[in-house]
Amino acid sequence: MERVKRLAAQITGTSGVAALEKKSPDDVVITMAIRSPLCKAKKGGFKDARTDELMLEMFRQSIAHSNIDPSLIGDICVGNVLCTDGVYHARAAALAAGFPETVPVQGINRFCSSGLMAVTTISNQIRAGQIDIGLAVGVESMSQNPDNGGPVLSEEIAAHPAAADCPKPMGWTSENVAEDFNISRDDQDDFAAKSFQKAEKADKAGYFQGEIVPFTVYQTDPATGARKRVIITKDDGIRYGTTKDNLAKIRSAFPQWGKGTTTGGNASQITDGAASVLLMTRRKAEELGLKIIAKHVTTTVAGVPPRVMGIGPVFAIPAALQKSGLTKEDVDLFEINEAFASQAVYCVRELALDARCTGARQIATGLNELERRKGRVLVTSMCIGTGMGAAGVFVREA
Amino acid sequence: MSMSGPRPPPATLQTPGFAHYSVTWSPFHNTRLAVASAANFGLVGNGRLHLASVSANPGGMLALSLDKQFDTQDGLYDAAWSEIHENQIVTASGDGSLKLWDIMLNDHPIRAWQEHTKEVFSVDWSNLKKDTFVSSSWDGTVKIWTPERPRSLMTLNAHHSCVYQALFSPHQPDILATCSTDGTLRIFDLRAPAYASGPNTNSFTNPLSASMLTVPASHTEILSLDWNKYRPFVLASGGVDKLVKVWDCRMVKPGAEPGAVGGSCETQLMGHEYAVRKVQWSPHRGEVIATASYDMSCRVWNTAPPAGQPQLMYINDAHTEFVVGCSWSLYDQGVLASCGWDSRLNVFRV
Repeated sequence: MERVKRLAAQITGTSGVAALEKKSPDDVVITMAIRSPLCKAKKGGFKDARTDELMLEMFRQSIAHSNIDPSLIGDICVGNVLCTDGVYHARAAALAAGFPETVPVQGINRFCSSGLMAVTTISNQIRAGQIDIGLAVGVESMSQNPDNGGPVLSEEIAAHPAAADCPKPMGWTSENVAEDFNISRDDQDDFAAKSFQKAEKADKAGYFQGEIVPFTVYQTDPATGARKRVIITKDDGIRYGTTKDNLAKIRSAFPQWGKGTTTGGNASQITDGAASVLLMTRRKAEELGLKIIAKHVTTTVAGVPPRVMGIGPVFAIPAALQKSGLTKEDVDLFEINEAFASQAVYCVRELALDARCTGARQIATGLNELERRKGRVLVTSMCIGTGMGAAGVFVREA
Repeated sequence: MSMSGPRPPPATLQTPGFAHYSVTWSPFHNTRLAVASAANFGLVGNGRLHLASVSANPGGMLALSLDKQFDTQDGLYDAAWSEIHENQIVTASGDGSLKLWDIMLNDHPIRAWQEHTKEVFSVDWSNLKKDTFVSSSWDGTVKIWTPERPRSLMTLNAHHSCVYQALFSPHQPDILATCSTDGTLRIFDLRAPAYASGPNTNSFTNPLSASMLTVPASHTEILSLDWNKYRPFVLASGGVDKLVKVWDCRMVKPGAEPGAVGGSCETQLMGHEYAVRKVQWSPHRGEVIATASYDMSCRVWNTAPPAGQPQLMYINDAHTEFVVGCSWSLYDQGVLASCGWDSRLNVFRV
């Protein structure tokens, strides 16, 4: 079959993995991909940490792990959704963390994909020759900035049916996906239980230790109100021992919508956390003697009806594969967010994937897992509120 | 040479059931040709080495005849005539083997070598060190051989992916060039077979031989290359991006620290509508090059045309399938052979 594939690639000009493995001095490569522990909002390790404090710690850790002089960084892009003064905090935290005043900062927001968009923005700046090295960061404190729902729309806009769906709650979109595409409660609980079990296995085996950096944050003593520093080293949202039967007992979270199949057990938790990715040209990485983890190939975004925003990956992933000349079979690891089991089940089913690795994780997790499996190609994808999907393609360095 | 006026049709030889992969003229006899071919378009099944002769009838019209054929277990992708023995020819096979044939004998090869772990896609005989030939394979390696030895003399881990062609320099005996799926051309000096080192190399599991020069020639696969016969360190490349590019690599300094990246693109030839499968410089005119493409055409170009003249000199569109090979006669200036998946060998005057 290799002969047929090679020939097809030569004729169509899409050269598959082999072409992606090509190394050019102009490649945009990742030399560091780290993340904080992911903690339950309001209850977990970061419940008392402010967004700007998570930014500060992420920046400090980035400087510590980058193995480069921070003044070499040409731009920082911070993805954040809920913090209203995000860019003020980002610039200030960068300076406080030790970045010199000469290193600029910008913010980006495309809801759940903001971290990937930060990586993409930095990658594009490098590709265009505007900078040689850039840092992409994603930060969210849902403890400090909870999602209080969408805004009130102008009457003129709200008269448009799809526009009117944009600010509606995410839970409603989950029930729409379950109802429109016949995703049963049983299927959702089954998928969610397997995700918990995989996460438990990975956690116990220490798979995440390669990507998590310990985070020093403040916690408030409930008795005295005093803030003291603590070090958080592990994810605290993984419920050990979760089974489909446990999940089946949980009451519907949104009985008012659809068939009410979404529950606190088969939807993602509300999370606090941060991640950071250092990108540069291959030329620069070699000049600085840095170990290259992976190459960023491309990112695509797709639009879908806002009422079923969870299906975004079904459209973003094929577009990303097409743009990078890959077929589904070429990809070693698909990573799709699991905002709701309904939407994750639909994406996995529609794309005919093996449900190998899903869950709300970051690029750091995907690359770490790819390294563990010795795979080459990672496609990481997520659904996006207001009806979008994004997918990024990365090739691990051999 | 002109694109206008009626041209006689090419001399043609059909080899039913066997799609061609390569054609090459004997360096000893100006009428002899060899064609490497494969059943089922080389995707699966047997191979066959065809030996043919070209003759001119009293009116000057060329004619082709089949002299002999040798059958193999797997498809043949390339062939190279010996530079020391007029009757010997080496073939490259899909099963990873190389075989040496004596065309005066029948049926069986006189030597066979099995070291490559994937398809061998090119073979080239050195015309400076005449007891040496080189093979390149989809396994990423390039191997140097001599007919007298049962094992290869040297293995270069040239690329991490398919090496579509490896070709000795016509000017310096220890220099060869390679091209690959990875989009690069590389120039190696066999006297310095050191491995690449540095932060970006993994010499434990994936060692790569150090090249004198890596030319990032394309964002897609490079399928063919050739050394210019008149200008040392000038090469042409062709590939999936449909372009033919001429590279000036004279910045290479033999003996200098290996691992340089460079090459300056002198000229691009645009016009092929699908991937370019073969490029070969004219042995008689330093600025002229022939190309074969999946677009079913074989073209001849002037890479340095006089002002106001087009680069494209000639199009042969007598094939009805992919054209995968072309070869200039070494003795008769302007005589070109082309071969393709229509199982047809054409010989014509440009």
